[in-house]
Amino acid sequence: MSLKVKFYSLFRINLKSPGTEYEIEKEITIVDLIKKLDQDYDGYFSRKLLAEDGSIARGTIILVNGKNIFHIDKLETEVSDGDLVTLFPPSAGG
Amino acid sequence: MRDYLKRQEKLFTEAQQQRLQELNIMIAGSGGLGTNQALQLQRIGVNKIYLYDYDQVEISNLNRQLCYGRTDIGRPKVEAAAEFLKQFDLETKIAARDEKITLLTEVPEDVDIIFDGLDNFESRFILDQLAAENNLPFIHAGIEEFFAQIMLVLPESEMRLKDVFAGTEKKVTPAVFSPAVTLTASLQVLEAIKYLLGFDDYLENQLLHIDLLSRNMEKIDLK
Repeated sequence: MSLKVKFYSLFRINLKSPGTEYEIEKEITIVDLIKKLDQDYDGYFSRKLLAEDGSIARGTIILVNGKNIFHIDKLETEVSDGDLVTLFPPSAGG
Repeated sequence: MRDYLKRQEKLFTEAQQQRLQELNIMIAGSGGLGTNQALQLQRIGVNKIYLYDYDQVEISNLNRQLCYGRTDIGRPKVEAAAEFLKQFDLETKIAARDEKITLLTEVPEDVDIIFDGLDNFESRFILDQLAAENNLPFIHAGIEEFFAQIMLVLPESEMRLKDVFAGTEKKVTPAVFSPAVTLTASLQVLEAIKYLLGFDDYLENQLLHIDLLSRNMEKIDLK
């Protein structure tokens, strides 16, 4: 079991990766996960997912097992082994 | 069956063909996605298309909004689009509604599904709520640069648009161009038709993510 993180859209293109996996021993928050991702991707996710005040940046989606963290505990949402985190900037135009 | 639909006859059962020709569709937003949806829905022979928009045609629309040309600039979009579609003299009825979608919009009673042809999430959340209140299926699409997503929201869906896209409203005007818009609108029509005609496999509790740079389509499970 592991914590799976999938990237879509520009995240995938910019990072040349469809995602990553982490073996974690106990639950961590999305903030902790972003710190982990930052270590592996040179600070990319703090820049993309967080606003200057540390809240979730507008224009990005963070889903945990298909549910938007906006409706869970936002950045304090906890994830653990077996969970799937999906990250992407949704397309707004038409 | 209508004479011009012969080449799609083998795709459907008789009952499905009949249903297709009885469908009444509401297109909310007659821009890039909406004009492309209307063109496709007219070609496949639905009964009636209600076109909604409150804007006039602008020069910046012409790179992707296929029902308009330079001579339409300044005209109400729905009037120009209806005129364009009617010139093909096909049986699908076109009803133009020059009005903004709000929570007070009176959805025509004969509508079978609402298509998202809007260009921002604030308006889409209103449209989604309107669909829920009218107990109608709603098919969302958004397109930006080379990426798009499609989501079918059913009357019984617990997961509404806001549950997935809350917090994504932003003020930057998205970059959009014709091939990507047309492809997204076509997929939206396909997915809606599969659901409406009772195909076994349609998008349920899933988001279809489309990456046209890498030529990938992936379904993201929603809860």
